[in-house]
Amino acid sequence: MSDTPNIILRANDVENIRDFDVYVENGGYEALKKSLEMGRDEVINVVKASNLRGRGGAGFPAGIKWSFIPKNEPIKYVCVNADESETGTFKDRLIMETNPHQLIEGALIAAYAIGAKAVYIYLRGEFWDVAHDLDERIAAAREAGFIGENIQDSGWDCEVYTHLGAGAYICGEETALLNSLEGLLGQPRVRPPFPANKGGGLYKEPTVVNNVETLANVPWIINNGADAYKAIGTEQSSGTKLYCVSGHVKNPGVFELPFTTTFRELLYDICGGPRNEGTSFKAMLPSGGSGPIVPLTDEVLDTRMSYEDTAKLGTIIGSASLIIMDDTVDITWVASKVTKFFKHESCGKCTPCREGTYWLDKVIDRIMAGEGTPKDVELIANVANNMQGATLCALGDFAANPIIHTIKQFPDDFAKHVQGDTEMAVAGD
Amino acid sequence: MNLIKGFATTFKHVLEEPVTLQYPEQMKPFAERFKGRHHLRRYDNGLEKCIGCALCAAACPADAIWVEAAENSDEQRFSPGERYAKTYEINMLRCIFCGYCEDACPTQAIELGHEHQMSFTDRRDAIYTKTMLIDPVPEGADGTPREVEPGVFTRAIPDMPDAK
Amino acid sequence: MAIPVKDDTKLVTVKIDDKEYQVPAGANLVDLAKWYADNDIPVFCYHPKLEPVGMCRMCLVELGSIMRDRETGDVVLDDNGEPTVRWFPKLQTACTQTASDGMVVRTNTEAVDETRENVLEFLLTSHPLDCPICDKGGECPLQNLTMEHGPQESRMIYSDKMHLQKHVPLGDLIFLDRERCIQCARCVRFQDELVGDAVLGFHERGRRLQIITSSDPGFDTYFSGNTTDICPVGALTTADFRFGARPWEMTEIPSISPWDAAGENISLSMRLDRDFGGRAMIKRVMPRQNEYVNELWISDKTRFGHHFTRSLDRLVEPMVSFGDKLTDQSWNDAYKAAVTALEGASGDVAAIAGGAISNEDLWELRQLVEGLGGSRLGAWPPTHGGADLVAEVGVGQDTNLKELGAGDAILVVASDLEEEVPIWRLRLKRAQDRGAYLVVANARPTRMEEFALDTQRNDKPVEGAAVRYAPGEAAAAISDLKSSNKDVYDRLADATNLVVVAGADGLDLDGNKALMQACANLLIETDHVGKANNGLMSPIPGPNGMGLHYLGYTPEVTQDIVANPPKVLIVAQAEPAEDDPTATEWLSKVDTVITLSLFPDRTTSYASIVLPIQSFAERDGTFVNGERRVQRFYTAQGPLGEAVPAWKILTTIREKLGQGRAKLSAAAVMLEITKNVDVFAEMRYKNLSQVTRQFPEIGGDDLYYGGTAYQNRGGLGIQIPSAADSGKVKAGKVASVKATKASKGELIALPITELYNRSNAFMPSGLVHARVAVPYVTLSSSDADDLGLVDGDLVEVSFEGGAVRVRATVGDVPAGVALLPQHLTDEPTPIVPTVVTLSKIAQPVLA
Repeated sequence: MSDTPNIILRANDVENIRDFDVYVENGGYEALKKSLEMGRDEVINVVKASNLRGRGGAGFPAGIKWSFIPKNEPIKYVCVNADESETGTFKDRLIMETNPHQLIEGALIAAYAIGAKAVYIYLRGEFWDVAHDLDERIAAAREAGFIGENIQDSGWDCEVYTHLGAGAYICGEETALLNSLEGLLGQPRVRPPFPANKGGGLYKEPTVVNNVETLANVPWIINNGADAYKAIGTEQSSGTKLYCVSGHVKNPGVFELPFTTTFRELLYDICGGPRNEGTSFKAMLPSGGSGPIVPLTDEVLDTRMSYEDTAKLGTIIGSASLIIMDDTVDITWVASKVTKFFKHESCGKCTPCREGTYWLDKVIDRIMAGEGTPKDVELIANVANNMQGATLCALGDFAANPIIHTIKQFPDDFAKHVQGDTEMAVAGD
Repeated sequence: MNLIKGFATTFKHVLEEPVTLQYPEQMKPFAERFKGRHHLRRYDNGLEKCIGCALCAAACPADAIWVEAAENSDEQRFSPGERYAKTYEINMLRCIFCGYCEDACPTQAIELGHEHQMSFTDRRDAIYTKTMLIDPVPEGADGTPREVEPGVFTRAIPDMPDAK
Repeated sequence: MAIPVKDDTKLVTVKIDDKEYQVPAGANLVDLAKWYADNDIPVFCYHPKLEPVGMCRMCLVELGSIMRDRETGDVVLDDNGEPTVRWFPKLQTACTQTASDGMVVRTNTEAVDETRENVLEFLLTSHPLDCPICDKGGECPLQNLTMEHGPQESRMIYSDKMHLQKHVPLGDLIFLDRERCIQCARCVRFQDELVGDAVLGFHERGRRLQIITSSDPGFDTYFSGNTTDICPVGALTTADFRFGARPWEMTEIPSISPWDAAGENISLSMRLDRDFGGRAMIKRVMPRQNEYVNELWISDKTRFGHHFTRSLDRLVEPMVSFGDKLTDQSWNDAYKAAVTALEGASGDVAAIAGGAISNEDLWELRQLVEGLGGSRLGAWPPTHGGADLVAEVGVGQDTNLKELGAGDAILVVASDLEEEVPIWRLRLKRAQDRGAYLVVANARPTRMEEFALDTQRNDKPVEGAAVRYAPGEAAAAISDLKSSNKDVYDRLADATNLVVVAGADGLDLDGNKALMQACANLLIETDHVGKANNGLMSPIPGPNGMGLHYLGYTPEVTQDIVANPPKVLIVAQAEPAEDDPTATEWLSKVDTVITLSLFPDRTTSYASIVLPIQSFAERDGTFVNGERRVQRFYTAQGPLGEAVPAWKILTTIREKLGQGRAKLSAAAVMLEITKNVDVFAEMRYKNLSQVTRQFPEIGGDDLYYGGTAYQNRGGLGIQIPSAADSGKVKAGKVASVKATKASKGELIALPITELYNRSNAFMPSGLVHARVAVPYVTLSSSDADDLGLVDGDLVEVSFEGGAVRVRATVGDVPAGVALLPQHLTDEPTPIVPTVVTLSKIAQPVLA
């Protein structure tokens, strides 16, 4: 671990890297200058070759996403998805607070690569202080000629704007984000057309939407080359990842690690194992509320935290927001909590999600109150199943996950409730 | 001999209880489910059960029922919910007392009672209007239309138990 | 039969449930499955007239495409020699798919069935299931689809249901039931996309997502009623119909809107009614599908304005004045009086007919007048003079405004279409959305101009889209377009198709005639005549303005009648004294006025014989709309009092005058017209009631678009060919126009139209009263300053023949003119540009 560089959490190595001068002294904005010399196609090729995958959750290769943008369209946009709303995720905020210029530089490189003249950083509404700070960083970069007209005499103009959302989880979905950015209701759009196509993006123009962490990786890749980046991580998951650990561990926090790290290394070696003496790890939500829950068995603990290895476990690493639960936690309560979250955050546009989350919440409330029957557990499993795959965007699938997988992995926890055992432990006590 | 036999039979029956009833002074008891003329029921609080949905008219095979609906308001409330029967008529000459209307009714507003003695000297008298069909207001309850508190009777097919 | 598409559309092969179909590329999958395969893919949010959004998830199907080798392009075959299909891993929404070659669709698999059942189960969890009292119950897509695809029983506990407000007035006309709403957004999208009045929207999110109106007054649009038709549940209901009847109890009678030149096809939903003496009564007015005329839409005026047909103010008995007062008489005596008067006229008989009268009436009236030796047949109002040019270079055969789009152009001159012909405004605005170049020329701002200039919507040419000319200079503005506005002229000239709508807003008859000629010349010069989707239209008032022309009634003759009053004047379904303040003067010079009227009005008070006629709802007849389409309407409502159809009155008088036997039916009158008037040769009733299959197919036995009224059983009508359709036409000379001049201290009042007004026919529809504007006059800020007026001041507007008291409003109008809407005040206001003086009235100070 010590042999891998801090690609993103450079604040750990360099004090005050968030200041423009410090950032530039430490090689900042060199990647942008280099990109301007390399030319657009070469930048895309390098990012493609690096196999940089989207860090927002879906893991779609960023270079391929950029290459979808039609070359001959006059107007294109880059949107930075900083609507970090997933439960247990707090990495993007850290990047923007400690290393904002790397994000700005990455976004500018992306904009240059696709030929966009505007970058919108869409922040969740609660990040107003981050947005304020970011505005100052952007102003500093503009003063130095990295933003604005004719950047570094390349003849290319680009502006960077921040935009605060109104506090909706769904606006982290890229098309809902675009709607929200346009001033419309934050509801996802039907695809196709995809954001990269004409007619599907921001103001109907081709648009690249990338996560904060994804773009923050880009300057390093340009500076050090695709091969150096590929050398870190696994075959299909290159580079490092920010892991957000919360819950019942001794040292929660954000850690930058290569994808080759196993859960055991992270949870025991870095985070120091279970928080309370006499308890052991029971379960983990590896990707916040939206990913399938997994029991923390030895098999799971020895799995590498890469896209492909977690998929083999039947879950996803997603945005890598690990919520760790020890054996005092009642998983039914977890299911109920997460369901309430998704009920609250469902946009209401498509039927299965709007009605399904409401219905699930009603039944699981009943189960939690000790009024449920085994039939009710069957019912929610079935309702969640019916939601999955039928919704307009992924939120419907996410909302079904906690129910389906908690029942599958921890049937005993549910059995206790429907037999009348309503006593439950509450995480965090 | 035959004659005696015949008379014997006759006299035997003279002593028996007569089969014939002295209708209308005497009446045969009704079967529980006898279908006589219709009643429009009220809730115990006096509101009409009929919501004017006209499903009875739709179900009627003899086309004997005529319903016209109108909108309730809290100032002029006839029935719970938004809709009530402004006009409700049954043509008793057409009615075949099949009880389909009772089946179709979503609020059990129309019920076939036990009255069956209906005779008319004018065909127009055979049309029973709402005032003739509807039950009297239960004791202690208000009649309809009446003013009620807003927001109380919002559901047409209410969860309103009869005893209330 | 194929979906109507442009000729150059490529055909592709699409496989639906193992059967192959040749369909036009790009056609919507839901539409083509219904059209070609008779396969009803269930939908809630999708509507063929709206952009698909794929949000209800009802139309999920299995979708795949036939695999082709990337290099050779050959179809990849599997082991059995069948083409390999690459299936999507998840079910896809059919409504967002468009036909492409090799598309494979399965709609009959278990997965699809299950998903449909699941989606319905989800929808029903929040639905109140109060079908017995729901106005939509019986023609409800949610009901229909639940019966067809839904779950057999509910797994949701009833007490878990969400309870919401059931009676939310969105405006005066439309109520929302928040429980029934399934959040399909059809209403929101209709207002946004089709109408352009984005007054509805969503509020909140998740299960709390609800419809709200963002305008003040609520739901402020002329098309709100249509949202209740397309609502797939009973969430939106009209205040007019609420609980009026159940859908299965009503009989749908085809009819035609009696209001404007569009000739919207409507369906009158009839039911017997106790309060109407047990006679058939109009319970609601619904649109009837006619893709050439109104597609599926009608304006709120058409939908809610039907109450005049049963108004207690209607004339129900003939009246004759033997001395100085009109008294009720029997028909016999009335006929006798009429015959005596007509015989005594010794040939000096003339007639004036209004635009709302049917062709049958016009024919009998003409026969009567001509039979007596008269020849003067006037059209009312005498403001719109271009009917002859519409007959010459009007829009070509098979014109359909919904086909206008990119590459085409539309010119709207001197007309406030939103107020005059709302459906034309809806369809032309939609054409602009599709990319047509819309130019609006007027002396004042109009709603159509806002659309023309709208920069909010993408892909819209806006440069030079609004032309403002000096008041009265409309003809010159169009004649000089080539020199004064070359860019606009070139774009109009170079357009593939060009439709010109020219009216009389702010013009008198001469001005309008000159303008019409200028527009006709423009069309002829640029070769935009004699073909479909090209030509001239005019918003002549009334549903039968063109019928007046074809049967020989002209505004010029009206002017002649005004100047030289005849001995006997027959006024047929026209209200000159209500429209025109100067009419009282010339009407009093006529010896005997005979009126055929619906209402007692100022005109009937000058008459010595008043004959009550039936409205369009009570009788058969035909109208010719602004696109020259002859359309039939049918007897629907029970008769009112002694009123009789106008043609019947006239044919009876003719019999009594010895002009031959009276005809027994409207059809017989039409038969006579077909034999005598060339353009009507094909218009026998049987032909007019022909219907062909229309795309999109709506309102038949389908499950999901709903409505028992959409289906057209009354006929699509037949278009009269224009002169240009059959031969060459020549440009004519544009007469120079004498402008109305005002001296110092005076203004020129331009009469303008308000859709909702206080005319006799509209007033009985009480529901819409709140939407009728307070009488007003609009003047420029400079004139207001000169006169010492501010917004809201009460002013008296005086003109020749009268004066009215109205509110002053200051607006974007040229100096020297005042906009004075017609039919808002009790007293008539000028019908043509007129010199007026304004004086402020001191308002009483409220204690």
